[in-house]
Amino acid sequence: MIAQLKALAALLLLAALPNAARAQEARETPPAPGAPRPVRFPKPVERTLPNGLRVIVIERPGTGLVSAQALIKTGGEADRNLPGLADMTATLLTRGTTTRSAPQIAEAIEALGGSLNSGARWDASTASVTTLASSVTPAMTIFADVVRRPAFQPAEIERLRTQTLDDLSIALRDPGTLAVYAAARVVFGDSPYGHPLGGTPESVKAIKRADITAFHRTHYRPQNALLVIGGDIKAEGAFNLARRLFEDWRGGDSPPVPVRGGGQASAKAKGRVVVIDKPDAEQAAIYVARPTIARTDPAYYSGLVANSVLGSGFSSRLNQEVRIKRGLSYGAGSSLGARRWAGLFVAESQSKNESAGEVAALLLSELGRLATEPIPGTEMTPRKATLTGSFARGLETTGGLVGQAASLALYGLNLNEINRFIPGVETVTAGDVQNFSRMHLGAEGANVDVVGNARLFLDDLSRRFPGLEVIPVAQLDLNRADLRRTGAKTLKKTAR
Amino acid sequence: MHNRRIVIAAAAAAVLLLLAGAVTPTRVLAQARVQRLDYRSRTLPNGLRVLSVEDHSSPTVAIQVWYKVGAKDDPQGRSGFAHLFEHMMFKSTRNMPSEMLDRLTEDVGGENNAYTGDDVTVYHEVVPSHYLETLLWAEGERMGSLNVSEATFASERDVVKEEFRQNYLTPPYGRMSLLLDQKSFAVHPYTRPGIGNIAELNAATLPHVQAFHRTFYRPDNATLVVVGDFDAKQLDTWVDKYLGRVPRPAAPLPRVTVKEPPRTRERRYVEYGANVPLPAVAITYLAPTKVSSDAFALSIADMILSGGESSRLYRKLVYEQQLAQEAYSYNDLREQAGLFVLRATLAGGKKPEQAERALMAELKRMQDSPISAAELNKARNQVLTGLLRERETNEGKAEALGEAAVLLNNAERVNTDIARLQAVTAADVQRVLRKYFGPGAKRVVIYYLPESSRPTATKKAQEAR
Repeated sequence: MIAQLKALAALLLLAALPNAARAQEARETPPAPGAPRPVRFPKPVERTLPNGLRVIVIERPGTGLVSAQALIKTGGEADRNLPGLADMTATLLTRGTTTRSAPQIAEAIEALGGSLNSGARWDASTASVTTLASSVTPAMTIFADVVRRPAFQPAEIERLRTQTLDDLSIALRDPGTLAVYAAARVVFGDSPYGHPLGGTPESVKAIKRADITAFHRTHYRPQNALLVIGGDIKAEGAFNLARRLFEDWRGGDSPPVPVRGGGQASAKAKGRVVVIDKPDAEQAAIYVARPTIARTDPAYYSGLVANSVLGSGFSSRLNQEVRIKRGLSYGAGSSLGARRWAGLFVAESQSKNESAGEVAALLLSELGRLATEPIPGTEMTPRKATLTGSFARGLETTGGLVGQAASLALYGLNLNEINRFIPGVETVTAGDVQNFSRMHLGAEGANVDVVGNARLFLDDLSRRFPGLEVIPVAQLDLNRADLRRTGAKTLKKTAR
Repeated sequence: MHNRRIVIAAAAAAVLLLLAGAVTPTRVLAQARVQRLDYRSRTLPNGLRVLSVEDHSSPTVAIQVWYKVGAKDDPQGRSGFAHLFEHMMFKSTRNMPSEMLDRLTEDVGGENNAYTGDDVTVYHEVVPSHYLETLLWAEGERMGSLNVSEATFASERDVVKEEFRQNYLTPPYGRMSLLLDQKSFAVHPYTRPGIGNIAELNAATLPHVQAFHRTFYRPDNATLVVVGDFDAKQLDTWVDKYLGRVPRPAAPLPRVTVKEPPRTRERRYVEYGANVPLPAVAITYLAPTKVSSDAFALSIADMILSGGESSRLYRKLVYEQQLAQEAYSYNDLREQAGLFVLRATLAGGKKPEQAERALMAELKRMQDSPISAAELNKARNQVLTGLLRERETNEGKAEALGEAAVLLNNAERVNTDIARLQAVTAADVQRVLRKYFGPGAKRVVIYYLPESSRPTATKKAQEAR
């Protein structure tokens, strides 16, 4: 019934277009599509080396390129009281090994036409290399060296610290970045996903070389790692290379990495509305945030479809309401960041300061609608296609293929999920989406944070959210769950 | 999102080449066979040029329409119009309601977008290949007519104003990108940033939209590029049917004829931003047009200055001297004039004068002594890897072909530029550096500083205004 009403509404809308109504002759309709053609993705193959390192290879002949990624299955969630520790450790991998200086590493890789990067994310620390297929051996040799034998030289640590502080000084001037950081704190509080991945100015200053080497010793070991190689290389050749470069890799001498629980949503944070007042902001960044599912949750595909209906892609509901219908923003969207122990869902937009309240209300109202009203079939089909099409395009490049396999392996999922993704999305029903939304995405209990020039929207926003808190940007402390700076300037070190 | 991107530098590409790159003691590296892009070219009676490459490796097809109209064609007093107009091309036509393009792409697993450059506006889609005919119909539709309502126009103009705020006013260094065009060109319309400004966007009206479509959106001003999974004969039939019927107007196409004169003196500007934590410096030189044969050597020079962490600017300014948070160069070569740009954002506590001196020292060093054989080989391999990465997707191939045909005036350059880039010598690099950045060349230097560092006298003058 609802579906029919919606279709009728669409027809009426067409008829209401002035020029359509005026047209003398009947509208020409687009030619119908031909028969669809099947999509197939390469199938990953894998072996585990005697030292415990899991090696995954995906062949894609003819590209002339090879990409490889090493993942340590520990990332920013293990930072404890030193936000940025995992990222600093991983970034330093390419800044010098026991036999090569940072400039020598850059010089050698770039001479081959390759690129080498490293850094941490949530749940993993990674190093990745892309190179011409013809120079895969020398490139992988350097790659193995940076993963296995980083030197963590004091001069490089200080150089990186200064660079990170400069980067942060820029990032913390951007309303969108501030809003992302605040959203994580509001949802996760003091728990492991709550802090900025790259650290805070206070924590970056506090990290010592001993913290970095201890992090490396504890987590960088073959049993806690994955190696994915993909592209224009034969599987046998890739396994041989992996064996030659990594089979004598031993972990540190400390006991195996304990599995740590974490990423618990902050119980106190339900329904918190925070305004960060940044008087020089030309726009407000508006974020709605909630805790959501872990990556291995059976409801993952339902969650992806729900997010696709709500806020992923140009034609999702959020962009329809905020941009297309009202011209309030360059874009509005949402994302479902499912991680090892929990996930962070955010719906967001940027708009002129005066519209912040209206946009916040629109985001919340769409969350509510998704959780309470049935989704018409006419909306399910296109939103699933958006999702599967974007997945398929992501696998067009060697780097995309390697990244997808690495991500599945990181969470212990079957590698053939690459070929099961599309059917997995197709089986999700409108009922599944509504159930998911009711449990994980509703407006009730959602948190809101707005970063902008509060003078221009505070009256309006206070009427909509009577319990809101205002934090002047000078008082913002991203090290703390309550986001407020106390008298003490130093980082509060709390044992967890 | 219908984002505007600046069309940047050189695609290049491929003959069946066997390229020898960097040499190590043990072996010759970087041998790569680059597949030739075997394209077909035809021109319809109405003037539309069609370029296509059949490639069945994935069941998708990339479709692009390149219109030769860009930000430089913005009407006087209405800067930002070509880009604002680009947004209108997703609204209604005679037979399509607004956003129907999204129904035919995103809703069936494809995607679409568009961007407005200084010289071109490009509409691009990737769709499952069985939707090719549908999309050709849609491109014919919007080339043939636009029927935008007043309300839609006003609402989409608000979207563009938010785009301006989001990309240029809100991020710390967004305004600096605007200053580069504004200060670098004296008389050419390139001096007006393509995003426009709030006042001139407000000056645009719906009748302007219709006039702009009539003037520039015509088959003899467009190039259609199709790359992917299709049958060539079938493609021709559909193209004839849906795009061949768009009439060619009799009126001549207006073209910008203003010439940017050589600079007669150095100009320096100091500007302040409220949201700027670290000072930034930009130095620009006038450079040749995009089709100049000097572009190849400039491209290699840029690679050596900025290509990765072993590049000269990163190595000196960021790594060794720790003067800059970032430092890089780029070639911004356009149809009617070009810029070569050096930029640095300073490290905490450093002065812009230091960064300016260090940037200039690197530029001078490249003029005084030739680059080494190792650096040249590195640049060649980086060019090659960049090319292979670009050619991984149908969309990348279509982009390269469109750029060669429309911006370089010769589609075959998609296959021959790679050899020209690989043939650049150290002497070529030194020659173009001296020619464009030597003692006679006049710089524009921009310092973009934190508002808090504005001298008090200036502050008072500002407040008094």
